[in-house]
Amino acid sequence: MANLSIPSIRERIFNTSKHEQTTQRSSNPFAASSFKGNVLTADVFESSTKQSHPAFTGKLKASALVGSISGIGERFQNFINSVVKFGIRAKESVVNGWNKLEGIEISFNPLREKMSSAYNSVKEIMSTPISEIFSKGISSKQVAKMEDMTEARALLADNVALWEAAA
Amino acid sequence: MTDKKIIKNVTNIIEGLGQNPNSESVTILEDIGTNSKVDAIRELTSRALVKRNEHDSLKVVITNKGKGINDMSTIVAMSTINELLSLEDKTEAMKVLTDTVEKHSDEEVRDNARSVKALMALS
Repeated sequence: MANLSIPSIRERIFNTSKHEQTTQRSSNPFAASSFKGNVLTADVFESSTKQSHPAFTGKLKASALVGSISGIGERFQNFINSVVKFGIRAKESVVNGWNKLEGIEISFNPLREKMSSAYNSVKEIMSTPISEIFSKGISSKQVAKMEDMTEARALLADNVALWEAAA
Repeated sequence: MTDKKIIKNVTNIIEGLGQNPNSESVTILEDIGTNSKVDAIRELTSRALVKRNEHDSLKVVITNKGKGINDMSTIVAMSTINELLSLEDKTEAMKVLTDTVEKHSDEEVRDNARSVKALMALS
Protein backbone atom coordinates (compact mmCIF):
# COMPACT_ATOMS: atom_id res chain seq x y z
CA MET A 1 0.00 0.00 0.00
CA ALA A 2 1.45 3.38 -0.99
CA ASN A 3 2.16 5.98 1.66
CA LEU A 4 -0.01 9.02 0.80
CA SER A 5 0.91 11.28 3.69
CA ILE A 6 1.94 14.90 2.97
CA PRO A 7 5.61 14.56 3.97
CA SER A 8 6.06 11.52 1.86
CA ILE A 9 4.48 13.21 -1.15
CA ARG A 10 6.67 16.20 -0.68
CA GLU A 11 9.72 14.02 -0.44
CA ARG A 12 8.84 12.31 -3.71
CA ILE A 13 8.33 15.59 -5.51
CA PHE A 14 11.56 17.18 -4.41
CA ASN A 15 13.80 14.16 -4.09
CA THR A 16 13.32 12.22 -7.31
CA SER A 17 16.71 10.58 -7.44
CA LYS A 18 15.86 8.42 -4.47
CA HIS A 19 12.73 7.22 -6.18
CA GLU A 20 14.55 6.58 -9.48
CA GLN A 21 16.92 4.20 -7.83
CA THR A 22 13.96 2.23 -6.70
CA THR A 23 12.26 2.18 -10.08
CA GLN A 24 15.45 1.17 -11.91
CA ARG A 25 15.23 -2.29 -10.41
CA SER A 26 11.94 -2.82 -12.20
CA SER A 27 11.82 -4.27 -15.70
CA ASN A 28 8.91 -1.97 -16.56
CA PRO A 29 10.20 0.60 -19.08
CA PHE A 30 7.27 2.93 -18.36
CA ALA A 31 7.70 2.94 -14.66
CA ALA A 32 10.05 5.98 -14.44
CA SER A 33 8.48 8.13 -17.11
CA SER A 34 4.76 7.63 -16.80
CA PHE A 35 3.85 6.26 -13.49
CA LYS A 36 6.98 7.25 -11.62
CA GLY A 37 7.17 3.77 -10.22
CA ASN A 38 4.78 4.54 -7.43
CA VAL A 39 1.85 2.49 -8.38
CA LEU A 40 3.20 -0.21 -10.66
CA THR A 41 6.25 -1.40 -8.84
CA ALA A 42 5.77 -5.03 -9.82
CA ASP A 43 6.49 -6.48 -13.26
CA VAL A 44 3.06 -6.68 -14.88
CA PHE A 45 4.27 -8.06 -18.24
CA GLU A 46 4.16 -11.80 -18.52
CA SER A 47 7.15 -13.59 -19.84
CA SER A 48 6.74 -15.33 -23.19
CA THR A 49 8.34 -18.45 -21.78
CA LYS A 50 5.60 -18.94 -19.26
CA GLN A 51 2.95 -19.58 -21.94
CA SER A 52 4.88 -22.45 -23.55
CA HIS A 53 5.11 -24.38 -20.33
CA PRO A 54 1.72 -24.36 -18.65
CA ALA A 55 1.52 -25.92 -15.26
CA PHE A 56 -0.97 -28.74 -14.92
CA THR A 57 -2.95 -27.48 -12.10
CA GLY A 58 -6.67 -27.73 -11.69
CA LYS A 59 -9.33 -30.21 -12.80
CA LEU A 60 -9.84 -28.65 -16.24
CA LYS A 61 -6.19 -29.02 -17.19
CA ALA A 62 -6.06 -32.55 -15.82
CA SER A 63 -9.11 -33.54 -17.81
CA ALA A 64 -7.55 -31.96 -20.90
CA LEU A 65 -4.42 -34.01 -20.32
CA VAL A 66 -6.42 -37.20 -19.98
CA GLY A 67 -8.35 -36.36 -23.13
CA SER A 68 -5.18 -35.76 -25.03
CA ILE A 69 -3.75 -39.07 -23.83
CA SER A 70 -6.88 -40.92 -24.83
CA GLY A 71 -6.75 -39.15 -28.18
CA ILE A 72 -3.22 -40.37 -28.69
CA GLY A 73 -4.36 -43.90 -27.90
CA GLU A 74 -7.16 -43.64 -30.46
CA ARG A 75 -4.80 -42.35 -33.09
CA PHE A 76 -2.38 -45.13 -32.25
CA GLN A 77 -5.22 -47.65 -32.51
CA ASN A 78 -6.19 -46.21 -35.87
CA PHE A 79 -2.59 -46.45 -36.96
CA ILE A 80 -2.45 -50.11 -35.91
CA ASN A 81 -5.75 -50.80 -37.66
CA SER A 82 -4.43 -49.21 -40.83
CA VAL A 83 -1.30 -51.32 -40.59
CA VAL A 84 -3.40 -54.46 -40.12
CA LYS A 85 -5.59 -53.50 -43.09
CA PHE A 86 -2.50 -52.87 -45.14
CA GLY A 87 -1.19 -56.31 -44.18
CA ILE A 88 -4.48 -57.94 -45.15
CA ARG A 89 -4.48 -56.11 -48.48
CA ALA A 90 -0.89 -57.13 -49.06
CA LYS A 91 -1.71 -60.76 -48.26
CA GLU A 92 -4.70 -60.69 -50.61
CA SER A 93 -2.53 -59.18 -53.29
CA VAL A 94 0.05 -61.89 -52.83
CA VAL A 95 -2.59 -64.64 -52.95
CA ASN A 96 -4.21 -63.14 -56.03
CA GLY A 97 -0.82 -62.75 -57.61
CA TRP A 98 0.00 -66.38 -56.89
CA ASN A 99 -3.30 -67.49 -58.43
CA LYS A 100 -2.60 -65.35 -61.45
CA LEU A 101 0.86 -66.85 -61.75
CA GLU A 102 -0.62 -70.34 -61.61
CA GLY A 103 -3.13 -69.35 -64.28
CA ILE A 104 -0.38 -67.93 -66.41
CA GLU A 105 1.69 -71.07 -66.02
CA ILE A 106 -1.25 -73.30 -67.04
CA SER A 107 -2.06 -71.10 -69.99
CA PHE A 108 1.54 -71.25 -71.09
CA ASN A 109 1.75 -75.06 -71.02
CA PRO A 110 0.63 -75.52 -74.65
CA LEU A 111 3.12 -72.90 -75.72
CA ARG A 112 5.84 -74.71 -73.82
CA GLU A 113 4.89 -78.00 -75.50
CA LYS A 114 4.89 -76.36 -78.91
CA MET A 115 8.25 -74.79 -78.20
CA SER A 116 9.55 -78.18 -77.09
CA SER A 117 8.28 -79.91 -80.23
CA ALA A 118 9.66 -77.09 -82.35
CA TYR A 119 13.02 -77.48 -80.64
CA ASN A 120 12.95 -81.24 -81.26
CA SER A 121 12.04 -80.69 -84.90
CA VAL A 122 14.89 -78.25 -85.33
CA LYS A 123 17.24 -80.65 -83.56
CA GLU A 124 16.13 -83.52 -85.82
CA ILE A 125 16.60 -81.40 -88.93
CA MET A 126 20.01 -80.23 -87.78
CA SER A 127 21.16 -83.84 -87.29
CA THR A 128 19.81 -84.94 -90.67
CA PRO A 129 21.94 -84.63 -93.81
CA ILE A 130 20.79 -82.01 -96.33
CA SER A 131 20.18 -84.69 -99.02
CA GLU A 132 17.73 -86.52 -96.73
CA ILE A 133 15.83 -83.34 -95.88
CA PHE A 134 14.89 -82.70 -99.50
CA SER A 135 14.30 -86.37 -100.39
CA LYS A 136 12.44 -88.03 -97.51
CA GLY A 137 12.68 -91.50 -99.12
CA ILE A 138 10.03 -94.23 -99.04
CA SER A 139 8.05 -94.85 -95.89
CA SER A 140 6.58 -98.22 -94.89
CA LYS A 141 3.15 -96.60 -94.31
CA GLN A 142 3.20 -95.30 -97.86
CA VAL A 143 3.87 -98.80 -99.25
CA ALA A 144 1.36 -100.44 -96.92
CA LYS A 145 -1.39 -98.25 -98.43
CA MET A 146 -0.39 -98.77 -102.06
CA GLU A 147 -3.16 -100.19 -104.26
CA ASP A 148 -1.20 -100.43 -107.51
CA MET A 149 0.79 -103.63 -106.89
CA THR A 150 2.60 -103.33 -110.24
CA GLU A 151 4.09 -100.10 -109.00
CA ALA A 152 4.92 -101.74 -105.67
CA ARG A 153 6.67 -104.62 -107.43
CA ALA A 154 8.71 -102.21 -109.57
CA LEU A 155 9.60 -100.16 -106.52
CA LEU A 156 10.94 -103.18 -104.63
CA ALA A 157 12.72 -104.59 -107.68
CA ASP A 158 14.50 -101.28 -108.39
CA ASN A 159 15.68 -100.77 -104.84
CA VAL A 160 16.75 -104.41 -104.39
CA ALA A 161 18.70 -104.11 -107.65
CA LEU A 162 20.43 -100.96 -106.31
CA TRP A 163 21.36 -102.81 -103.09
CA GLU A 164 22.62 -105.86 -104.95
CA ALA A 165 24.64 -103.67 -107.29
CA ALA A 166 26.28 -101.91 -104.35
CA ALA A 167 26.94 -105.14 -102.43
CA MET B 1 29.56 -100.07 -98.63
CA THR B 2 25.85 -99.92 -99.36
CA ASP B 3 24.20 -96.51 -99.18
CA LYS B 4 22.14 -96.12 -96.00
CA LYS B 5 19.33 -94.56 -97.99
CA ILE B 6 19.02 -97.66 -100.21
CA ILE B 7 18.99 -99.96 -97.19
CA LYS B 8 16.33 -97.79 -95.55
CA ASN B 9 14.21 -97.75 -98.70
CA VAL B 10 14.36 -101.55 -99.16
CA THR B 11 13.61 -102.09 -95.48
CA ASN B 12 10.59 -99.77 -95.63
CA ILE B 13 9.27 -101.31 -98.87
CA ILE B 14 9.51 -104.88 -97.51
CA GLU B 15 7.92 -103.81 -94.21
CA GLY B 16 5.17 -101.96 -96.04
CA LEU B 17 4.42 -104.90 -98.32
CA GLY B 18 4.23 -107.14 -95.27
CA GLN B 19 1.48 -104.84 -93.91
CA ASN B 20 -0.29 -104.32 -97.24
CA PRO B 21 -3.67 -106.14 -97.18
CA ASN B 22 -3.42 -107.06 -100.86
CA SER B 23 -2.44 -110.75 -101.21
CA GLU B 24 -0.36 -109.83 -104.26
CA SER B 25 2.20 -108.34 -101.88
CA VAL B 26 3.09 -111.89 -100.69
CA THR B 27 3.84 -112.92 -104.26
CA ILE B 28 5.99 -109.81 -104.75
CA LEU B 29 7.96 -110.54 -101.62
CA GLU B 30 8.43 -114.18 -102.61
CA ASP B 31 9.49 -113.38 -106.16
CA ILE B 32 11.90 -110.54 -105.41
CA GLY B 33 12.78 -110.63 -101.70
CA THR B 34 13.34 -114.33 -101.01
CA ASN B 35 15.25 -114.82 -104.27
CA SER B 36 17.70 -111.97 -103.66
CA LYS B 37 21.40 -112.79 -103.56
CA VAL B 38 21.80 -110.50 -100.55
CA ASP B 39 21.33 -112.33 -97.24
CA ALA B 40 20.03 -109.23 -95.47
CA ILE B 41 17.26 -108.78 -98.05
CA ARG B 42 16.21 -112.43 -97.72
CA GLU B 43 16.25 -112.09 -93.95
CA LEU B 44 14.11 -108.95 -94.02
CA THR B 45 11.67 -110.59 -96.45
CA SER B 46 11.32 -113.79 -94.42
CA ARG B 47 10.66 -111.88 -91.21
CA ALA B 48 8.05 -109.70 -92.93
CA LEU B 49 6.27 -112.80 -94.27
CA VAL B 50 6.24 -114.44 -90.83
CA LYS B 51 4.90 -111.23 -89.16
CA ARG B 52 2.06 -111.19 -91.67
CA ASN B 53 1.00 -114.50 -90.06
CA GLU B 54 -1.16 -115.69 -92.94
CA HIS B 55 -1.32 -119.18 -94.43
CA ASP B 56 0.20 -118.20 -97.79
CA SER B 57 2.95 -116.06 -96.31
CA LEU B 58 3.90 -118.76 -93.77
CA LYS B 59 3.96 -121.42 -96.49
CA VAL B 60 6.61 -119.42 -98.36
CA VAL B 61 9.09 -119.50 -95.47
CA ILE B 62 8.28 -123.04 -94.23
CA THR B 63 7.66 -125.29 -97.25
CA ASN B 64 10.06 -123.87 -99.87
CA LYS B 65 13.54 -125.30 -100.08
CA GLY B 66 16.21 -122.60 -99.86
CA LYS B 67 13.82 -120.03 -98.34
CA GLY B 68 12.95 -119.04 -94.78
CA ILE B 69 13.75 -121.80 -92.30
CA ASN B 70 15.31 -123.81 -95.14
CA ASP B 71 17.64 -121.03 -96.32
CA MET B 72 21.26 -121.89 -96.94
CA SER B 73 22.30 -118.95 -94.78
CA THR B 74 22.21 -119.88 -91.10
CA ILE B 75 21.53 -116.27 -90.17
CA VAL B 76 18.46 -116.11 -92.41
CA ALA B 77 17.16 -119.51 -91.22
CA MET B 78 17.70 -118.76 -87.52
CA SER B 79 16.19 -115.28 -87.87
CA THR B 80 13.08 -116.78 -89.49
CA ILE B 81 12.76 -119.41 -86.75
CA ASN B 82 13.17 -116.71 -84.09
CA GLU B 83 10.39 -114.68 -85.71
CA LEU B 84 8.13 -117.76 -85.74
CA LEU B 85 8.82 -118.31 -82.04
CA SER B 86 7.95 -114.66 -81.34
CA LEU B 87 4.44 -114.92 -82.81
CA GLU B 88 1.67 -114.35 -80.29
CA ASP B 89 -0.79 -116.47 -82.24
CA LYS B 90 1.05 -119.56 -83.43
CA THR B 91 -2.02 -121.47 -84.60
CA GLU B 92 -1.57 -120.94 -88.34
CA ALA B 93 2.18 -121.50 -88.18
CA MET B 94 1.68 -124.84 -86.34
CA LYS B 95 -0.88 -125.91 -88.91
CA VAL B 96 1.52 -125.19 -91.81
CA LEU B 97 4.37 -126.91 -89.99
CA THR B 98 2.23 -130.00 -89.33
CA ASP B 99 1.17 -130.21 -92.98
CA THR B 100 4.80 -129.83 -94.07
CA VAL B 101 6.01 -132.58 -91.71
CA GLU B 102 3.28 -134.92 -92.89
CA LYS B 103 2.99 -134.17 -96.59
CA HIS B 104 6.11 -132.49 -98.00
CA SER B 105 8.08 -134.50 -100.53
CA ASP B 106 11.56 -133.30 -99.51
CA GLU B 107 12.98 -135.01 -96.41
CA GLU B 108 15.25 -132.12 -95.44
CA VAL B 109 12.27 -129.75 -95.52
CA ARG B 110 10.24 -132.19 -93.38
CA ASP B 111 13.09 -132.48 -90.84
CA ASN B 112 13.48 -128.71 -90.57
CA ALA B 113 9.72 -128.28 -90.14
CA ARG B 114 9.69 -131.01 -87.44
CA SER B 115 12.49 -129.30 -85.48
CA VAL B 116 10.83 -125.89 -85.66
CA LYS B 117 7.50 -127.40 -84.67
CA ALA B 118 9.14 -128.96 -81.59
CA LEU B 119 10.68 -125.63 -80.66
CA MET B 120 7.35 -123.86 -81.03
CA ALA B 121 5.60 -126.48 -78.94
CA LEU B 122 8.12 -125.89 -76.14
CA SER B 123 7.95 -122.07 -76.33
